[in-house]
Amino acid sequence: MLEISELRKRFAGGPGAPGGKVALDGISFTVRPGEMFGFVGANGAGKTTTMRIVMGVLQADSGSVSWQGRPLGYDDRQRFGYMPEERGLYQKMRVAEQIEYFGRLHGLSAPAAKKATDDLLERLGLTERRGDAVQALSLGNQQRVQLAVALVHDPEVLILDEPFSGLDPIAVDALATALQERCRGGVPVIFSSHQLELVERLCDSVGIVSAGRMVASGTVADLRAAESGTLRVVVRDPAPGWADGLPGTVSVSGSRQVLLTDEGDDQEILRRAMKAGHVEHFGVEQPTLTEIFKEAVA
Amino acid sequence: MNGLLLVARREVSTQVRTRAFVIGLLVTALLVGAVSFLPKIMGGGDSYKLGLVNSQQLPLHAAAPDIEFEWRKFADEAAAKRAVLAGDVDAVLVDNARVLTDGEINTELGVLLQSVNREFKLGAAGVAIPPLEMQSVGADARYQEARQGIATVLVLLLFMLLMGQIVMVAMGVVEEKGSRIVEILLAAVRPWQLLGGKILGLGVVGLINLGTILVIGLAASSVSGLAADFPPGMVGLVVAVLVWFVLGYAFFATLSAAFASLVSRQEEVNTVLTPLTMMIMVTYFVSFYVTNEPTGTLATVLSYVPPFSSMVMPVRMAATEVPMWQVGLSMLAMALAVVVVLKIGSTVYERAVLRTGARLKFGEVLRSR
Repeated sequence: MLEISELRKRFAGGPGAPGGKVALDGISFTVRPGEMFGFVGANGAGKTTTMRIVMGVLQADSGSVSWQGRPLGYDDRQRFGYMPEERGLYQKMRVAEQIEYFGRLHGLSAPAAKKATDDLLERLGLTERRGDAVQALSLGNQQRVQLAVALVHDPEVLILDEPFSGLDPIAVDALATALQERCRGGVPVIFSSHQLELVERLCDSVGIVSAGRMVASGTVADLRAAESGTLRVVVRDPAPGWADGLPGTVSVSGSRQVLLTDEGDDQEILRRAMKAGHVEHFGVEQPTLTEIFKEAVA
Repeated sequence: MNGLLLVARREVSTQVRTRAFVIGLLVTALLVGAVSFLPKIMGGGDSYKLGLVNSQQLPLHAAAPDIEFEWRKFADEAAAKRAVLAGDVDAVLVDNARVLTDGEINTELGVLLQSVNREFKLGAAGVAIPPLEMQSVGADARYQEARQGIATVLVLLLFMLLMGQIVMVAMGVVEEKGSRIVEILLAAVRPWQLLGGKILGLGVVGLINLGTILVIGLAASSVSGLAADFPPGMVGLVVAVLVWFVLGYAFFATLSAAFASLVSRQEEVNTVLTPLTMMIMVTYFVSFYVTNEPTGTLATVLSYVPPFSSMVMPVRMAATEVPMWQVGLSMLAMALAVVVVLKIGSTVYERAVLRTGARLKFGEVLRSR
């Protein structure tokens, strides 16, 4: 279990911001083995800072990160897989050599690194490009190499900052499948993304950060339950003024009128609607993650 | 194998595979080989062509073994005169009594002819004069010229290699910082391993270069016969040069990495390295000056002051004889300076290398927490 608790980080002020900037204001969350954790938040909310602190690339001012109940150390991190927000590879190094090199830096033996590299190249469809310099590859393929670098040592934990950005839909699916496989193997996966539908589809749990704080976290279902849904009623050819006195808003669309409300007695509303005309739709709509997100950071 | 060695190995294998490295090595090898044969081709020692008319050869070569003499016989004085005027011979001995030349005789040749002639005739008359015994109470000056030549070549060699490798280190650091590879690297290895590995790896590349030059230089010199003029203790000198290169390189390369970690773009490397390249240039000019006056006060003092000592001391060692304790003391001082620079440099590197963006200031980074 990966536990992030009460992380605080303040960046020194520059000429533009003399007082400095609070990047993290006490962020805490937990990711269990085999859990896919989606990290969402506006730009500058603190996602990248949190991930960099977890990876030891940045030091927190206070707070702690622990793995398997012990403070996370250098040796543990060597077994983590990391994909930073800013992609980086040796442009002139050959694809296979590069992946092997990172495997070895993460502690694999030479034969193990070679085997893992061959497997990954095969799975990512890069076998034919193995001898090419990275700079000769398309951006999409470079992204795959970047992923391979994060996966080569069969990491115990995966921390990926915006892994889906810049990928075409097919590559998104391929990456999603690769992550789900790792996850099913018991690896906790943390990734950040602005593609909320994707997060909603893939993640077991979600953390929403805003201004350096975790404003909402839990399973998508829990987050939904916390929000009261919106009642949507569609009535065809209703009597004029049928909704007078009812809460919510009414919009007209041809011969239909749509009432949206999140308060009031739903049974009373249904009776009024049935009396007024033909009820075509009556139901509570679950908020999407996008709506929950907007609500949470508002 | 730990992170540091892995990083170093990558640096070596990446560098030695570049075309620039291979071509550079071939060109230097050819140049060094050519230079070793040059004195031979240019004519080396003195030689004289002498003519005889009705005279006996004088044992000049026995008196001056370094000089070559070539003798020719002429039938009569008229033929000899023509040859002198045509420049075919430098001087002609006539009747064992007179010497014909075109204008005033070359001083060295004149003195030689006079003294050998005197000795020869006295010997014939039964007077034996024991030759004067030459005793030097100063430094052995026999190899003065060779020593100075070797010192000059060494300075140039150390300077060029140092400069080349230091720019390599800086460019490597900026490549990793600018492309953010450093972020995934530092998730796998510690900053000192990354820094140390890079410096070590590029240092090995520099040593390969230096070693090649020294080995080819020595081999070609012994083939060309130039090595005969070398002072004794060349092997010791070569070893010392390697040690001094390592010390100087460690000092400047660490600073180079620290300076380079302040910027994020290759275009900024030159600017940020300016103070360092100036320092190396000054060291170079001082050492070059020292080759002319290797026993002067400036040479003696600077051969103890890091980082000047890294170039001045090997020059002094080549140009004159330096007691071992002085070399040891100077090396110790330089090694201490390297330790201090490693401490400061790695601190700056560690703090700056992840702060991408605008150029940082050395002092500020060092003072920041």
